Amino acid sequence: MSLLTVSNLTKRYPRGGKSIAAVDDVSFHIDPGETLALAGPSGSGKSTIARLVLRLIEPDAGRIEFEDNDFLALSGASLRARRARLQTVFQDPLAAFNPRATVARVLDDPLRIHGIASRSERPRRIAALLERVGLAAELASRAIHEISGGQRQRVAIARAIATKPSLIVLDEAVSALDVSVRGQILHLLLDLQRQERIAYLFISHDLGVVRAVAHRVILLDAGRIAESGDARAVIDAPRSAIGKALLAAAPRLHRTRP
Amino acid sequence: MSRFRRFLRTPEAVAGAIILAALIAMALSASLLFPGDPQAIAGPALLPPFQDWSLPLGTDRLGRDVLAELFHGARTSLAVGLAAAAAALVVGSVVGTLAGFADGLVDEVLMRITEAFQTVPSFLLALAFVSVVGPSLGIVVIAIALGTWTGPARVARAEVLSIRERDYVASARAVGMHPLAIAFREVLPNALPPVLAMSSVIVAAAILTEAALSFLGLGDPNRVTWGGMIAEGRAVLRTAPFLSIVPGIALVLTVLGVYLAGEGVVETTAVRRGLS
Repeated sequence: MSLLTVSNLTKRYPRGGKSIAAVDDVSFHIDPGETLALAGPSGSGKSTIARLVLRLIEPDAGRIEFEDNDFLALSGASLRARRARLQTVFQDPLAAFNPRATVARVLDDPLRIHGIASRSERPRRIAALLERVGLAAELASRAIHEISGGQRQRVAIARAIATKPSLIVLDEAVSALDVSVRGQILHLLLDLQRQERIAYLFISHDLGVVRAVAHRVILLDAGRIAESGDARAVIDAPRSAIGKALLAAAPRLHRTRP
Repeated sequence: MSRFRRFLRTPEAVAGAIILAALIAMALSASLLFPGDPQAIAGPALLPPFQDWSLPLGTDRLGRDVLAELFHGARTSLAVGLAAAAAALVVGSVVGTLAGFADGLVDEVLMRITEAFQTVPSFLLALAFVSVVGPSLGIVVIAIALGTWTGPARVARAEVLSIRERDYVASARAVGMHPLAIAFREVLPNALPPVLAMSSVIVAAAILTEAALSFLGLGDPNRVTWGGMIAEGRAVLRTAPFLSIVPGIALVLTVLGVYLAGEGVVETTAVRRGLS
């Protein structure tokens, strides 16, 4: 049984009098411990799908089943409780945190809200979470704006794994990081997946990164699925027009062999 | 520290701060320097200022010490001004945050109520409220706050509308935080700076409104107020103009001081935020 099943998901936005489908009849599933990548150009509906799956916005049509439950039927307290299993890491590691927050407060929130640790136990749990994502426990007392972008994204990952989720939506989670940091963060994500069997919905426009981390990929174009399949197979030899265009646009280092 | 130094480099802010400090000193020392009832008769009636050094600012129609009344009046002005402004800011930012964050029907209802209050001139509202409920310090504070909370509410709502679209609000929702916790822990603290920037104007307006209410005889009758003193002096405006002029000057200086100091604080914090 798959972890997340999305069927016929549709989201329309009004634009200039008529409605435009940002996401048009999209269906896919994710298995436990699997990474599914959503790739496509800007405006192809990647982030809209992420927000729909996270229930940050509501779809116009379609079904979302998560852990064998109708995820769209949940509301209020039951939805908030279920959110513990479905976490997220956003693109911009600075915008994703309250500018007044400290690292400790950011990590304290999920532990407190979902009753994972008692008040006296939380500092220890926060230190353990920081350690798990490769940060020093002393960082807890620092303000979010005092730490570096890479550290911030590690804190975001720590926040996402605090509630022991089965699925994390990574919305361009490594796109804003510089290349060396990006490699480390991807490594951390893969490591977490191996150990905790977390599934990822990995949203990216970078086919190179997708090929490296995803098991399967879905290529989106104008809100529709253009192509899907095994990540390496699709990216090495795309059949759809958008897949070929994306591959041609990807920057590469040309080396001439001696 | 640098913020404080920048504040000191703005002359009008320093002037405002000095006036404000003097006012606070007056209010705090009133019962030390002038123990007993300031409304008790202290000497001959209508003694002009600078004649008798035990009564430096003279006496009013009933022979009450004008200086003592001035000091005790500072208390009322300051207390009413600060309390009314605080009430207006708290109510305004809570209503504005709820309206901006809740969206839909709650927003519509709250904003129509806000507009209903805004369409009535705030002084008229205060006047009507005090004359119906009866004058006392608490009622005067509520009456003034009733007409001034709408400004902070609208500013807070506008700010919240922009903040609630930010990623960190989405993050808080994804973590499973309760909507009210998001509104008051994540959104409101970040929406406050522009709301607080209005506080100096609100305090100044509240002090003036209190004086105007007292002038019309709707102040707390058991307390000396500057507005009440001006009203008292009005009857003898030709023979003893100082009875109206002295509290009038105090009032002007206070409003000016509050305004200048408040603007100075806003200015220096704005520069700081612009730099960072």
